[in-house]
Amino acid sequence: MKKILLIAALFQLSTLNFQLSTCFAQKLTGREIIQKVKDRPDGDTRYGEMELTLRKKNGSTRQRKVTSWAMDEGKDTKKMMFFTYPGDVKGTGFLTWDYDQIGKEDAKWLYLPAMKKTRRISGSSSKTDYFMGTDFTYDDMGTRHVDEDTHKLLREEVKDGHKCWVVESVPVDKHEIYSRKVTWIRQDCLIAAYVEYYDKLNKLHRVLTISDVKQVQGFWTIQKMEMKNVQTEHSTVIVVKNSQYDVKVDKSLFTVTKLEKGL
Amino acid sequence: MKALTIIALLWCMIPRPASAQDEDSLRIGVKGFVDTYHAVRSESPNDWMSSRSRVRGEVTLEKGHTGAYVSANLVHNAILKDRTGFQLREAYAYYSDNHWDVRAGRQIITWGVADALRLTDIISPMDYTEFLAQDYDDIRIPVGSLRLRYSQEKWCAEVVAIPVSSFFELPTDAENPWSVGPLPIGDEPSHRLYNMEYGGRLSFFLSGIDFSLSALHTWNKQPVFYNGVGQYRRMTMLGADCSIPFGQFVIRGEFAEYLDEAQTFGRAASSNALLGLDWYAGNDWSLSAQYAHKYVTSGEHRNTGLATLRISKDLLRNTLALQSFAYIDVTNGGVYNRLSADYAFNDQLHAILGYDFFHADRGTFVVYGRNSEVFVKLKYSF
Repeated sequence: MKKILLIAALFQLSTLNFQLSTCFAQKLTGREIIQKVKDRPDGDTRYGEMELTLRKKNGSTRQRKVTSWAMDEGKDTKKMMFFTYPGDVKGTGFLTWDYDQIGKEDAKWLYLPAMKKTRRISGSSSKTDYFMGTDFTYDDMGTRHVDEDTHKLLREEVKDGHKCWVVESVPVDKHEIYSRKVTWIRQDCLIAAYVEYYDKLNKLHRVLTISDVKQVQGFWTIQKMEMKNVQTEHSTVIVVKNSQYDVKVDKSLFTVTKLEKGL
Repeated sequence: MKALTIIALLWCMIPRPASAQDEDSLRIGVKGFVDTYHAVRSESPNDWMSSRSRVRGEVTLEKGHTGAYVSANLVHNAILKDRTGFQLREAYAYYSDNHWDVRAGRQIITWGVADALRLTDIISPMDYTEFLAQDYDDIRIPVGSLRLRYSQEKWCAEVVAIPVSSFFELPTDAENPWSVGPLPIGDEPSHRLYNMEYGGRLSFFLSGIDFSLSALHTWNKQPVFYNGVGQYRRMTMLGADCSIPFGQFVIRGEFAEYLDEAQTFGRAASSNALLGLDWYAGNDWSLSAQYAHKYVTSGEHRNTGLATLRISKDLLRNTLALQSFAYIDVTNGGVYNRLSADYAFNDQLHAILGYDFFHADRGTFVVYGRNSEVFVKLKYSF
């Protein structure tokens, strides 16, 4: 079941993390840049379909597909997600109410169609686990609080033709899976282009490449990204399709009854 | 009819888009699987305990707020010949809008928060044809019923009516390795209006807790042997349950009072309570433990206890899932432990190898004392 829980935060990866909102002429600190990431406008409601492709070193692949909705309520966010592929998890649903308040645990429910049952599940789980066998950790996906890391603007440079800020983030909690990460944030659309994650021995562990960014209804949106474990050469590609913002959904969608009803 | 059924199930296997985006168009959702399951007794005479293959098809048709859902099995059972053929599982029509959800037809209804134990979850009975060696949704017997739910953001009210009750299936055929013996079981209640079941449940979903209150006027659906004959009697259940997440843990509690429950000596109320703890431990480990206690207000054996323990671990980037699930008969010292290893060859094909271990000198599991078995299963999902 855990692997199902872990994927649930994926949707926000395409819309929340690694994004900034506007260009800034003034010099920003690393923290200010990351805060802008978190505060970036992304509509009151969102819809998206995602395909995750896991690729082994030998080239063999596995795939997961999910459909997701999200709605903001003040600073809190409600999300509903259903698996659509592969068949053995198709119909599995996941509902989460993410609270912005520090210390308030998120509320999460999982519906397992084979059991015909909804379970209340832990609002917090190991942030360092990889979800669904991918190269993304739970923590990579989540709404990590800005002050869980200390951020430092290292420099500005051009990356893949885009002028970027380069920000180093060091976790405050020394039990995190990485010792530091370095993020290249594009200044044109203010979305990360590239992230390096270093392990406890300060060796490069994983790299995230965001290769396709487009505007959808005026919102910059990641269309494709790849996380590669450079030590094992396993990689995961996420393709986001049919992204929509400010979609017409009633808040009754984000209830346990609708979770059990399914897609 | 059988040919039509086969065609229908094969049609289910053709991949097609799960849904269209236009709300007013007819949306068709299809899923299912083909599996084959074989088990051999691990002690002499090492005979086959199960040998069956099946196609499962599940189809959803939906247009606007209304729809229909059908699930069915096409089975070949080499051990239990009478189980070969078409098996309709669920078949119901529904209406669902922002607040109302109505289902009418043959359906599985689950209540409560207990995992694989039944306290308030007593609407859909159990099929013990192969005891607990079947998939869980095959063990639950659908009931022909009307279910009406009204939900708001943080609560849901539900009422159910079951005009004709369904009861436990207990194998008494001596050729079935899972037979409970040649037990005489009395007639089921007549199909009269006054024998219908009805009840309701009020559930709340809050940031720090889920809880529900429930009531059901029902029957003891597992026959109770009184004067040597299995009998069904009326009873009323009053229940409550809750789930409380706490860090990496979820604490679950459930309580059910069975008023005027049938007992082997007559009628008496019983109190049933369960406490469970789930631990999402990280590193792809999860553990779950439960203890359920039953207290009968009169009779010789007033207290009984049953516990469960589940431990699971995912390996090899979630392609290998190891699990141990055990029922422990605390009162009598018996145990049933299912150990399994589930390996995903690819997105569609899984192979499961496992061992069912039984040990009991008396109590619930003693009838299966020689049924320890090795099993293998291949499952192709579509």
